[in-house]
Amino acid sequence: MTDSALSDKVFDGIRVADFAWVGVGPLVSKYLADHGAEVIRIESSVRPEPLRRAPPFVNDEPGLDNSGYYADFNSSKQCVSLNLQHPDGVSIAKRIVEHCDIVTESFTPKAMRAWGMTYEDLCEIRPDLIMISMPMYGLTGPWSMWQGYGHVLQAAAGISHLTAYPGEEPIGTGVAYTDFLVPHFAASALLAALDHRQRTGEGQNIDFGQMEAAIHATETMVLDYTVNGREQQPLGAGHPDYRPYGTYQCAARGDDDDRWIAITVTNEAELASLADVAGQPSWTSLEADALDSEIASWTRTQQAEELMEQLQSAGVPAGVVQTPEDLRSDPQLDHRGHFWMLDHPTMGHRAYDGPSFRLSETPADLTKAAPLLGEDNEYVYKEIVGMSDEEYVEHLVSGAFD
Amino acid sequence: MGELFSSTLPTIIHAMTTPTAAGPLAPFRVIDLTNELGQLAGRMLGDLGAEVIKVEQPGGDVSRFIGPFRGDVVDPEYSLHWWTFNANKLGATLDLTTSRGQDLFTRLLNTADFLIETCPPDAAAALGLGVEAVHSSHPGLVHTSITPFGREGPYANWKATDLVGTAMGGLSSLCGAPGRPPIRPTASQGFTQASAQAVVGTLIAHYQRTKSGRGQHVDQSMQEAVTFTHDNASPTWDIRGINNGRPGNGREIGGYKSGQYVYEAADGYVAALSYGGLFGLTARQTIEWLDHHGMAEDLTSEEWLAKLDATQGILIPPTGEDGDHLNDVLVRFCKQFTRAQLVAEAQQIRNGWGIVHTPKDLLENEHLAAREYWTEVEHEEGHVTYPGPWAKLSKTPISIRHRAPRIGEHTFYVYGDLLGFSVDEIRSLASANVI
Repeated sequence: MTDSALSDKVFDGIRVADFAWVGVGPLVSKYLADHGAEVIRIESSVRPEPLRRAPPFVNDEPGLDNSGYYADFNSSKQCVSLNLQHPDGVSIAKRIVEHCDIVTESFTPKAMRAWGMTYEDLCEIRPDLIMISMPMYGLTGPWSMWQGYGHVLQAAAGISHLTAYPGEEPIGTGVAYTDFLVPHFAASALLAALDHRQRTGEGQNIDFGQMEAAIHATETMVLDYTVNGREQQPLGAGHPDYRPYGTYQCAARGDDDDRWIAITVTNEAELASLADVAGQPSWTSLEADALDSEIASWTRTQQAEELMEQLQSAGVPAGVVQTPEDLRSDPQLDHRGHFWMLDHPTMGHRAYDGPSFRLSETPADLTKAAPLLGEDNEYVYKEIVGMSDEEYVEHLVSGAFD
Repeated sequence: MGELFSSTLPTIIHAMTTPTAAGPLAPFRVIDLTNELGQLAGRMLGDLGAEVIKVEQPGGDVSRFIGPFRGDVVDPEYSLHWWTFNANKLGATLDLTTSRGQDLFTRLLNTADFLIETCPPDAAAALGLGVEAVHSSHPGLVHTSITPFGREGPYANWKATDLVGTAMGGLSSLCGAPGRPPIRPTASQGFTQASAQAVVGTLIAHYQRTKSGRGQHVDQSMQEAVTFTHDNASPTWDIRGINNGRPGNGREIGGYKSGQYVYEAADGYVAALSYGGLFGLTARQTIEWLDHHGMAEDLTSEEWLAKLDATQGILIPPTGEDGDHLNDVLVRFCKQFTRAQLVAEAQQIRNGWGIVHTPKDLLENEHLAAREYWTEVEHEEGHVTYPGPWAKLSKTPISIRHRAPRIGEHTFYVYGDLLGFSVDEIRSLASANVI
C-alpha cells in the first residue's frame, strides 16, 4: 500500500492543468479540487476569465479578485497567470502540462489548435495524459466553432422548449442551466477515464460536446418524438400525469409577498391527506381545475413553512419554493453542512457551495477560498515547473505572466 | 429456458445476456435498485460500460408504468420512460420484502462493485439496506443512496416529487416570471441532477477504492443536488443580500436584471444574451451587423457605443430606458429573419446566439447528424432513435449498446450464471414468487 492509499484525500497526487473558464470547466475541476487534487487554474489578466469580471462583487466594487461568481466555482484551487499570446506563453504552458495528469479546457476548438495544445500535441510531452475538451458543440462538426453560453445552450438542447407557461414563449430556466447540468456528465466521463488509466496506464482524449450531454436531461422528449411523433409541450410547474401538482402563493412574510409552496399529489391517499389538512373533505371529489383554485385560495392565507410542515407530516409531498436566502437557513442543508465559510484575502469570510453528496469515508474538503489571479505563480513556476529565480524574473519582466 | 416460464419470461433472450465489453467501466458490475429519482445514475454507469443489473419487484418495476407509452398503449414493456432510463441495463426480478429475497440480494451484492438505490431512509433497515449493514457485509462495495433530502437529517423522511425537489433546492425560485407562479422544466431536473451528481460521487468513491480497496457510502440528496443549479444566486445573496428572482424572459446576474433573451424570429425563437451582443465584448461588431441590414437605428452613434462597448469595462448590462431601447431594436430586427440566418450571422461575429430547438428541430439538426449523435437501438418492434453518447472517449468509447430489459429478461443470467443456481432451483424461486 502506497502512502497515497493511506491519505483521506481521494485525488492526492493527481494534478490538473485547468485552462477552462466560466461555468462548465471550473465546475468539473472543482469536484477534483474539493476532493484533494492539485488543480492549477491557468488564467491571464490580458484576457481575464469572464467570471472574474462578473457580479456579484464585494462592496459592489468590480475587480478581478472580487467576484463571488468566480469564487464559488473555484474553491480549493491554485491559480497562475500566464499570457498564452506572449511568445513564451505556450512553451511555459506545456511545461506545466508535463507535470499534470489531466488537462481541462472549454474554449471553441480553434484556440487549443492555434496554440499547438491539442490532445495529440500534449500527448507528446505527457503520453498518459487525460484531456477533456468541453466546447458547446464538441470538437468536430459544422457548429464546432460556434460560441455560446449556458443560458443559450439550454435553448439549443431543447430544455427551454419544455420550460415555459403553457402556450407561451419558451423562456427556459432563469439560470444558465446547462452550466450546472453538464459538468456532472463531464466529470463522470473524466473520472471513468481516470479509473481506466489507473488500471491500464492508458490516458485518452474526451471530446465533450455540451449540447449532446444536455439532451440527456430532457427525459422522454426525444423518444416521444422518435417513437410517437409527438412534440412534448411545457406545463409551467405542472406534470403530465399528476394533479394537483403546482406552486401556490402563500401569505406574505413581513414585507415579502412573494412566498410560494409546491404541493404535489401522486395518488388517492395523498389527495385525501391534503383534503384532511385543509379541512375540506369535499376536495377529494373536485374536478382538477376547481381543486387548483381552491388550493390557491387556501394557501394564500397560510404561512409557507408552517404549511409545508403540516403537509409533510400528513404524507403529502410539498415544499417551500425556497429562495437563495432560505437555503442559507434550511435545517436539512445545514445538517448536511452544504455551505462552507472560507476566508478570501480580498473578499473576506464568504459562503461557498460544497458538493451535494456525502462520502462516508473520504468526504469533500474545501481547503481554501478561490485563488487570486496569479496567486500561485511562485510555487507552480519554481517548485513544479522548476524555473530558477533568474528565469522566473525574466518571464515576469517580459510579460509572460501577465 | 424451461417451458414453465414461457408465459412469464420473454421468448427472445437477446445476445445481451453476454454483453460486449465497452467503455471505461467495463470490468465492473452495478446493482441498480432505483426508482425514477435515480434511474439515470445507473443508465450513465451503463453507458460508461459497467454491467448494470436493474433489480425489479416481481411483476415489474413501478416505473414501467410511467408514461408516455409507445403508441399510447399502457403496457409495462412500452413505457418510453422505462426505455429511456434503463437502456444499457440488464433486468432481473427479486422480492426484497422476503428473507429469501434478501438472502439472494446479499449474494448478488457479493458479485457486485456498486450498489445504487433510492430506498426511502425509514425503510432502508427493513430491506437490509442500512449503511452499516451493507458496509459490514460488503466492505469493498461502493453503496450509493439517492433520496429526496439525504439519508439523515430533519427532512430525511419527507416525501418529494420532482417539483418539490426543484422548489426546496432553489431552482424554481429562479424559474418563471415575476408575479407569476414559479415553474420547473417539464422534464424532471430534480431527478436528473440527483442522478448525475450521484454518479460523480460514486466514481470519486470508486477511485478511492482503487487505492484503498475499501468501499464506502455515498449519500446523495436531490434537494442539495438542485442547489447546484443556482447559477450566481448563492454568492449574490451572500455578498449583496439580494435574492435573484424569477426573470421571466430575461437574465439576472448578481442581482442585476438584464433585458429579454429569447426573441421571436420569422420562423420560431432564438436565444441571445446581453441584448444579442449589443452590449458587451462584441458590441461594435453587433451594431455593425444590424447596421449592415439597415436596422441599427440610432445605435451607431458614439454616445451609444460608449455605453455599450464593454471590452475594457465590467459586465453589467444597461437597464431602464437604455435597456428597453436596446431590446426594442432587437425585437424589430429579429422578426425580419429566420432563426438559421440570425444565428449563423451572429456566430460569424463571434456572438453566441443559439436556436431555441423543438424536439423535431433537434432530430433534424445538421450538426448533431454530422457528429453521428443519434443512435439506433434495436427493439423487437424495430429500430428506435435514441440520444447518443454524452461524451466521446477516444480509447474507451461509451455507447448505447442495447435497449432496456423486458421483465425478467436476464433471470437466468443473473441467478444461473452469476449466482450458480440450477434451472430447477430458479424454477422453485419463481414458484415461490421470490423472483
